[in-house]
Amino acid sequence: MECRNFKELLDSYFCQELAIETNHQLLNHAEHCPHCRAEMASRRNLRESLRRACSQERMSDEACERLRARLRAEAGFQSKTARKQWLNLFEFRFAIPVAATIAVLILAIVGVSSYLRTENPSTDSFDSLALSETLVSEAASDHKKCASKFLLATKPAAMPDTVEPDYIGLEKVAAAGAEGLRLHAAHVCSPDGRRFAHLVYTRDGALISLLVTNRDERAIKADNLFSADDKLDGFQETNRENLSLGAFQTAKHIILVVSELPKPENNKLAQTLALPLVKHFRQLDGQSIAGLPELRYGNDVTILITQLK
Amino acid sequence: MIRNSAHNSQQQLETFEAQALGFTDQLFRVALRLCQDRAKAEDLVQETYLQAWRSFHRFELGTNLRAWLYKIMFNVHYSNQRKDRFHLVPVEETIAETLAYDPPTPQRLTEKEVLAALERLPRDFQVPIVLSDVEELSYREIADVMEIPIGTVMSRLHRGRKILRTELVNYARESGYKISS
Repeated sequence: MECRNFKELLDSYFCQELAIETNHQLLNHAEHCPHCRAEMASRRNLRESLRRACSQERMSDEACERLRARLRAEAGFQSKTARKQWLNLFEFRFAIPVAATIAVLILAIVGVSSYLRTENPSTDSFDSLALSETLVSEAASDHKKCASKFLLATKPAAMPDTVEPDYIGLEKVAAAGAEGLRLHAAHVCSPDGRRFAHLVYTRDGALISLLVTNRDERAIKADNLFSADDKLDGFQETNRENLSLGAFQTAKHIILVVSELPKPENNKLAQTLALPLVKHFRQLDGQSIAGLPELRYGNDVTILITQLK
Repeated sequence: MIRNSAHNSQQQLETFEAQALGFTDQLFRVALRLCQDRAKAEDLVQETYLQAWRSFHRFELGTNLRAWLYKIMFNVHYSNQRKDRFHLVPVEETIAETLAYDPPTPQRLTEKEVLAALERLPRDFQVPIVLSDVEELSYREIADVMEIPIGTVMSRLHRGRKILRTELVNYARESGYKISS
């Protein structure tokens, strides 16, 4: 690669828009060209300055309050209109058929609920603390956009000292659960706005992301943020496109493992890889770690995640 | 069970607020670049959220909410522009010069200098730069939310970033900073 090409592609490299092979060529050129290496550092600095400068621009509190008030007024208007339509249903000529329909529906729903409770006793408790679709998408996106960038990284990976204090040294905490995995990167990133502590591993060529983020309103389904800390369920699993995701929660953090491994394999991996971080953050968040299993390795690795009640 | 629609609306609003309002500042940052005026930017964000709330029943949970909100914001902005007889002509028609020289990026930059240089760019360059370099949308996402071809996105980013670097070099020279060659 020539210097001219390097400079043309550099901004797209920072935006993670280049193919892995082109990234590799770019980094290789930077290693051997001090001028381009300096330009790379300066442009990275420019991007970070721009980001810091723009991140200070926020809507005023008054504007935010006006926005909330308008939304509530709009929702109130909609429900009044809906209530009017609802009441119209009870005009005399509609009353009997509507009442009959309601009765049939009630009987059907009672019957189905009864069946479901018998067949799936754990459904209610699992769903009650489910992660939001937004968080699942953001975790998947972080893995897709960020992890592959570090596939060729060869330098030892460690969290920079400039990240949030909770995340400093995270790769050392996670090491206890990462036997058999190779660590490529440790950093904090936010490809879609949500900040994740991101540890990038490989195992037999498969990319694996271990992610930690704050457990906030956007991360949890709306009506469940304030469930009691000690009643957090254990492991949750889901898919997004071709990715498998497994997640744990503590009072203030969510720990996720994301990969393209088949779901059962990702689940098994998650329940060892994430465990040291789960213990670490439960302690950090003021929760007990009693009941959490110890890690054992070898042919008889046992998954012992306990429901935390 | 046929549910009371007022309770339903309240629950839906809480879901919407929990999921969508977290993007307020991100929308506002781009709105500032579009409107070049704080009060207008706040109005644009408010209008965006109202439209988004009205359309929320059509939004597919699990898809990219942030991109959806940006797209609504651009649609509202374009719609407002069409009502304004004096809206600005797109930049490609006013700036014919292509910069052949790409100066080295100054090493020492303050946030104030960088923001000032950004604000001197034509609006049509500021917006994709902020979407890409600050909000970290992909080129394809930018093309989708702005409803312009991806080639136009890449062209505006390429030229906009070059002009930004040139502005910073000129400022650095005037201020007596050393520029590495």
